[in-house]
Amino acid sequence: MSQNSSGPAPYIYTCTRLRVRKSKLLTPAEYYRMLNMGLSEITRFIGETEYQKEVEELATSFKGVDLIEIALSWNLAKEYQRIIDMTHGPLKQFTKTYLERWDIYNVLTILRGKTQGFSEGKIKEVLIPAGSLNRTMLDRLLTEESVERIVESLKGWHLYSVLQADIATALSSGSFSEMENDLYKTFYADLLQSDKKGITGALQFVKFIKLEIDTLNIKTIFRMQADAVSKASKDLFIPGASLTLDELEQISGLSNTDEIIDALSAKIRNEPLLEALDGLREKKTLNEINIDLTKAQLDQMERLSRIHPFSIHPVLVYLVKKKYEVANLRAIARGKESQLPGDVIERYLVI
Amino acid sequence: MSEIEIAIATAAGYKAIGAGLAVGLAGIGAGIGEMAIGAAAVGAVAENKDMFGLALLFTVLPETIVIFGLVVALLLLFT
Repeated sequence: MSQNSSGPAPYIYTCTRLRVRKSKLLTPAEYYRMLNMGLSEITRFIGETEYQKEVEELATSFKGVDLIEIALSWNLAKEYQRIIDMTHGPLKQFTKTYLERWDIYNVLTILRGKTQGFSEGKIKEVLIPAGSLNRTMLDRLLTEESVERIVESLKGWHLYSVLQADIATALSSGSFSEMENDLYKTFYADLLQSDKKGITGALQFVKFIKLEIDTLNIKTIFRMQADAVSKASKDLFIPGASLTLDELEQISGLSNTDEIIDALSAKIRNEPLLEALDGLREKKTLNEINIDLTKAQLDQMERLSRIHPFSIHPVLVYLVKKKYEVANLRAIARGKESQLPGDVIERYLVI
Repeated sequence: MSEIEIAIATAAGYKAIGAGLAVGLAGIGAGIGEMAIGAAAVGAVAENKDMFGLALLFTVLPETIVIFGLVVALLLLFT
């Protein structure tokens, strides 16, 4: 494994660049302004921000909400690639490993798109080639005619074994959700192994990943409660963070929201998440719970990046915030296209 | 050479060593300080060209310490 032998300067350089980039992300005031705009105004507004290049490039081929959506996807992929290029040593390694989550997203999108009969072009529009599978590889997968051939083409991919093990069940049941769960579980298990590889700064990386897993598991518990899933299942949770699978299973078996929050609060250590959990005692919709938990996660990530200013935290915070910016803009564009009022769209934004 | 002359020569030698250390150590300290500031400044300017002036100013701030070292060296040598 490559080690950082050139002192703290590369960390300081990269972390400062990403802090400046983070300061360029859209502010809450800009989101509120957009909520009062029409779709064409939003397109123009986005075209004047960091997305200008993509909007101008695609303006001749696409219009309206499609233009916004594709420009956002392109920008996200390009931005992530730029960050991989910008980072050095262990920071690069962590960034690349973390961004491999987009491989799972891309592969599943292709598999789902192909089984549902979408055209290559349509699937390509929503792919985000930010992981280890580059655009050429994804194009190759898109040209494959059957799902089996796609899986075969992914033989060298590090999650191929999971794909191969689950593909038969996925095809017979017509649902890729179980495969998705397994892929993400293996992905997170790999990330958690980083600190055992002796890379400098891996401890902070693992801390970040554990926070993400905790948030995901808590979201799953509330989702199970909202969907009245009576049978608690360990398979739905990601192991390796603050809560063990047994604890998660036990908590998800509780029917009362207050009991769930009490049980979680006894195990969770970080303050923003505890505050968010406390706020969930009042009746909220599942979407509001999700948004509150995501905000708490981002809050904690920000805290970590301030406590460790020259570590992997500022890089990861930017990656996550950028992802939510794109998700917010997509929600506004789609919401406006569906003629939803501003206050309804606002409920779906992570601001 | 008398003992007094030897003592005067030794004192002058120590003064020169002191002056050298004052400037040298101040320079090393400033260099270490500037490493972090310089890296951050280059990062900030790479993202936003308008920050060049401010970044340059912050980068050379530790140089003031070298001036203190120089003043101490001059005082040692000429007083």
